[in-house]
Amino acid sequence: MINFTINGQPVIASKGETILQAARKAGFYIPTMCYLEKTTPCASCRLCVVETDKTDGLILSCQTPPTEGLGVTINSERLEQERTNIMRLYDVNHPLECGVCDKSGACDLQNKTLEFGVSAQHFSAKEHHRTIEHWGLINYDPSLCILCEKCVHVCNEIIGDDAIELQFGGYKSAVIPKNSEVLDCTFCGECIAVCPVGALVSSEFQYSANAWELTQIPATCAHCSAGCSLTYEVRHTSNSIGAKAKIYRVTNNFEHTTLCGAGRFGFDFAVEGTKDEAELAKAVHAIQNATAIRFNSLITNEEAMILQGLKEKLGIKLYNEEARAYQSFMAAYASISGKTGFGGSLDAIVQSDGIIVLGGRIVTDNPAVRYAMTTAARHRGAKVVYMHPLEDEWLKNVVTQFVKYEVGTEEGVIAMLAKTLLSGADISEETKTFFDGLDEGYLCAESNVGDEEYTHIAKSFARAKRKTLIIGSDVLNHERASNIARLCAMIETYTEFSIVVVAGSVNTIGISLICDLDVDTFGGNVVGYNAAGDYTMGSIGDVMLKLPSLNSQEGTFVSINHQVLPTNVAVAFEGYTLNDIANALGLVSQHTIDYTEKLPVSKGFNGTSFDSLGNFYGALGEDNRGYILENIDVEANGILEEVEDLPEFNGTVVYRCNPVNQFNGYTARTKQLEKEATLRGSAQFAAAAKIGDGDKIRIEFPQGTQERIFELDSTLKGTIALVPAYDVGFGELNEQYRFEKVKIMRMGSES
Amino acid sequence: MSKVYFSTWRGEQINNIGKNDDAWENSAYNLPLEYNEHAHSKAFIGWDGVALFNPDVDVVRLATEYAAQYQVYSEACGRCAPGRWGGRILYDLLDKIARGEGAVSDMEHLKEVSRTMQETSKCEIGKTVPNPLLDLMTHFESEFMACIENQKPSKHYHMEDTNYIAKITAPCMDACPAHVDIPAYIEGVRDLRFDDSLMATRQTMPLAHTCGRVCPHPCETECRRTNLDEPISIMELKRLGADYETDHGFGFFHPSEKKASIGKKVAVIGAGPAGLTGAYYLALDGIDVDVYEELPVLGGEVAVGVPEYRMPIDKYNQDIEAVRSLGVNFITNTKVTADMMRQFENDYDATLVATGTRISKKVYCDNERKEIAGYWGAIDMLDEVNLFVKYGIGQDLDLTGKTVVCVGGGFTSMDVVRCSIRANAAKVIMLYRRDEKTIIKNTTYEEYHEAVEEGVEFIFHSAVARMNDENDVLKSLTVDRYELVPDPNGGRPTLEKIEGASFDIECDFLIPAVSQSADLKLIPEEWEVERTSWATIKTNGKDYMTSRKGIFAAGDCEYGPMTIVNAVGQAKRAASVMSRYVVNGEITLTDDEIMEDHLRKLKVYDKKEKIVGWLPGLPRQHSEVLTVDERKDNNREVKYGFTQEEALAEAERCMRCYYIAMVAH
Repeated sequence: MINFTINGQPVIASKGETILQAARKAGFYIPTMCYLEKTTPCASCRLCVVETDKTDGLILSCQTPPTEGLGVTINSERLEQERTNIMRLYDVNHPLECGVCDKSGACDLQNKTLEFGVSAQHFSAKEHHRTIEHWGLINYDPSLCILCEKCVHVCNEIIGDDAIELQFGGYKSAVIPKNSEVLDCTFCGECIAVCPVGALVSSEFQYSANAWELTQIPATCAHCSAGCSLTYEVRHTSNSIGAKAKIYRVTNNFEHTTLCGAGRFGFDFAVEGTKDEAELAKAVHAIQNATAIRFNSLITNEEAMILQGLKEKLGIKLYNEEARAYQSFMAAYASISGKTGFGGSLDAIVQSDGIIVLGGRIVTDNPAVRYAMTTAARHRGAKVVYMHPLEDEWLKNVVTQFVKYEVGTEEGVIAMLAKTLLSGADISEETKTFFDGLDEGYLCAESNVGDEEYTHIAKSFARAKRKTLIIGSDVLNHERASNIARLCAMIETYTEFSIVVVAGSVNTIGISLICDLDVDTFGGNVVGYNAAGDYTMGSIGDVMLKLPSLNSQEGTFVSINHQVLPTNVAVAFEGYTLNDIANALGLVSQHTIDYTEKLPVSKGFNGTSFDSLGNFYGALGEDNRGYILENIDVEANGILEEVEDLPEFNGTVVYRCNPVNQFNGYTARTKQLEKEATLRGSAQFAAAAKIGDGDKIRIEFPQGTQERIFELDSTLKGTIALVPAYDVGFGELNEQYRFEKVKIMRMGSES
Repeated sequence: MSKVYFSTWRGEQINNIGKNDDAWENSAYNLPLEYNEHAHSKAFIGWDGVALFNPDVDVVRLATEYAAQYQVYSEACGRCAPGRWGGRILYDLLDKIARGEGAVSDMEHLKEVSRTMQETSKCEIGKTVPNPLLDLMTHFESEFMACIENQKPSKHYHMEDTNYIAKITAPCMDACPAHVDIPAYIEGVRDLRFDDSLMATRQTMPLAHTCGRVCPHPCETECRRTNLDEPISIMELKRLGADYETDHGFGFFHPSEKKASIGKKVAVIGAGPAGLTGAYYLALDGIDVDVYEELPVLGGEVAVGVPEYRMPIDKYNQDIEAVRSLGVNFITNTKVTADMMRQFENDYDATLVATGTRISKKVYCDNERKEIAGYWGAIDMLDEVNLFVKYGIGQDLDLTGKTVVCVGGGFTSMDVVRCSIRANAAKVIMLYRRDEKTIIKNTTYEEYHEAVEEGVEFIFHSAVARMNDENDVLKSLTVDRYELVPDPNGGRPTLEKIEGASFDIECDFLIPAVSQSADLKLIPEEWEVERTSWATIKTNGKDYMTSRKGIFAAGDCEYGPMTIVNAVGQAKRAASVMSRYVVNGEITLTDDEIMEDHLRKLKVYDKKEKIVGWLPGLPRQHSEVLTVDERKDNNREVKYGFTQEEALAEAERCMRCYYIAMVAH
């Protein structure tokens, strides 16, 4: 702790905190244009200069930690004069197009110009022509750019794309794509979010609405299990009376949160519905006659409660193979750890200096996990081990060791990993015997992971103090998932590692806690809710009864942080809801959100009602969204099973893996997100499967066939191809083990 | 001392305006009066003032050009609001005045923008560019006002009679023999752009892993932060970029793309730091390079001299692979002879000799005979240790039960004694003629203290007088003691022997590590290549060509035993000169190189300068080292290097002391 003063008032800074951070915490205002709390200081605007009693000249508060006893002055005539001059410089030749600029009304330059009373251009400089760049979803206008560098920092330090950089050139400086003519990135759009002026804008949104006309609706993203905070910005679509509102854009609290491209650009997935009483009756009737309801995890906790209520009331079964796999994985996990939930979180990843990721394609499965890893790698120098059959080019600047294992050998790999990490841990004799009894030679040979690779992991983590093991969704549907879960729980219980399990879909965790799920027999009379069935309803696909999509609903999700997060209605839905159906079937509840306070306390929910849930961040980044589930203690009576013979996956193997920014039936139908639906493989794969780039092919899965175009991808290596899942059926990646042996037939060439 | 017409350099006020030539007062500084052998300078202008060398200089144009150069040399700038817009405004307004279109209010605006730049710019370059401009506007106000009042261009505005040559520098860059762009690589760390950091280093220094570990860092002695509290830990911050590249298994981040082959061939003799550096920059320029190495391994003294615990070979190999990745051809186990050199003249367009100094010098005591068992040159001893430890060649050195005496005081002797400890010697003694302070100055504080911790006994003010043997086996040494006797006339104190204080040390080994000399048998005698008085190859220290056309020399074989970074700096320069020589047969320096030499002579660092705009008292970070017990019986790297947190805190202390200097000639 460092004691110092600001304008004579005592202030305390913790170690590593800068004068600016301490000032903000203590409620002092120091103006900035380039400061972004979540990145290292850009230090370009110089507005945050302050005076001190130990220095001549002005010092920069955003990058200087205070020293004991320092007296800091943050307002004075001299400071006012210099800050005003900086604003005068910023205003030199800044195009006066505020009338149409997207940023007008929410522009830092506009605000600070007013704050410092710059009413005329004080200095002049010769201007030169600057060309507006069109980078797909993003437009860049260098003449509006103030070169604060926030976009460059966030792209490299938080996202990890490292796709833009500053081209130094004094007055001619500009932001340019890095190592590329055009922008080549995952299009998260975070650069747009952090841009303080109208230089980086959404090409779709540009010139479509004024900032002040938009209504902000705080919500939770409906695309993956990260549960990112976002704001739907909504406006009427025309001036006629009764014109429908629509979502114009999505924004985020970029100072404290980060959003991926699917969250930012994939917002237009709402459906329209009408109150068709006859169809409602059909739906009610279908459920009355059904043996089961099949549903996916794009539903709220409240809807899960309703489904569970229907199960109890009508004695029907509930099918959700994806959530059931997660549920049984966590049950096995709890049998060792004695806790219902895993111990890690996105923040634990951010704080880590050692990270292992196993069994998932993180960049596309869950971008928030990737951003947390990037942050740890950059800011903490985290060593990152990525264990998977497929290398991922996007992770290259984060991963420090790639461990390639053979498809299907996850149980053996985790057993060996656990043995490595538990060496020296205080484990029982029984457990010790288990690990001593592992047939290392066999496991290493079959999984193709050498002994020295585990040794290297141990060595590179020798100095790490905060470690996280991230378990991807590949293992959730593995035949040996339960034993894998027990091994993971061993690691969390007996080492310093905390564990994060990447659940497969938006509300997988919530459903797994609320619903008593049955094994899907794929027979009987089934009603599908956002899933296949004899009668279908929902907001995805060609259903018989339309129900509201997740951006037309109130309710809650449980995120990867075990946080119960509220979401709100961005676009009104005129039809019926699941609650209406349930009420017709004898459940009684006026609103869906009346179920929020009834979420099961035995699973860690705390009985808070929907309207009492916060959905905002404080000025200093305090998370006031919903609440964190209690991690319930359970009996730990599980024992490790012998590792089974490792399976072999020979022949043609594909991996279910969505392209960047695609997740499900919602993202599949948005306007802006790229819909890449090809089978992507390496040259080696193409040669083995006797297909070439652009070929039309038929893929025969055990469950059925798909027709796709094959695309040669030079970033891929090896003999496994990537097949998307978001565009088929209901877009579930995780209903079965993600790798599959298939047959591929060439049907012709596209051209 | 320089003869000037007018100077405000470093605050001096020399004003000979209107005075007779012979009454001129001189400047106290080494200003670049002669740009090169072809051109006299007219003026010098920089961060700390301006000097005019003749009365005819167009000061308005000079100011304008300096402001223009700040725009041109903007790779070091464009990073902050005051610098970017302010710099542009300075130029626009000055040019407006110089071309005869200025207004009186422009002078006011210039002063106002200057003040904001001086107070708030990110780098020193933005803070200091206004300094000489304000000097000119103050002392030559009438010339500026004449342009404004008469609406006439300045006197030379439309003449192309003057060249304006500018150069970016910084105190640390100037002090570094390789002139590494230190502020840029530290900025790369601060901004978490480690690839940029490494590329900045590799512009002039390919051995980033190596010089992030075993450089004596002269830059830190001339770090401007020293004037405020403590110098930046410059050397260690270099490791972050290199580790980023290695840890993530990227290819190699080169500072520029390798040029396509230009069909020229160069031979490099020696694969040590100088040879590797020369090869690297020649190859980047599209020249085919063959490197001949006498040893079976690459890397020269850093490989077989510097021990594993200071310079892990896997890291050094990364640096070597970076060189190889440019297509450099290495030929090992090949000692180049005079005959081969004669042949090379026909086979290659130029040759770079970088053979180092690999002959251990004698201690010059009585009975100093090579035949005595136990008499062991430091170079041979370290070869044996390192070839085994790093490459598994030969035998593991075991000194169990032995007493080792080393005579030295430099890095090599430290390596000898610490390797002896690791070889389990019973007793290790270092004899040194001077005192503790001097040994620290010649090596580093850490080196000396780590050796003491590990159990090395240092005997200061001592020298070996005689080797005592029995049947050519070393038994003991007779050692004389010395003391420093002050010179009554106020000169340097001298070391004088203390009579009767001599003593004997029983020992098994005497390892002389006093200095090394160059083995130049490879140079054909008939070439009559000039030597220095200490028997190294002579060059002019600027272009590194020997007295034989087309034969260049760099590193220790040219300079005498010196540092890695010195070898790198020399070889980088030699490669630059050679890359032009092989094309046009001429020996030339670029303007940038000429300016580099001028600035070094002038010295960029000013230890008396008072620092403003930075808060003192932020401590220098120190990375963790292995404890004595963890390290003394093995070859684990002693220094862990910075954690990310330490590195960022350290990088944050860097004040980005870029400056711009310009000569008008």
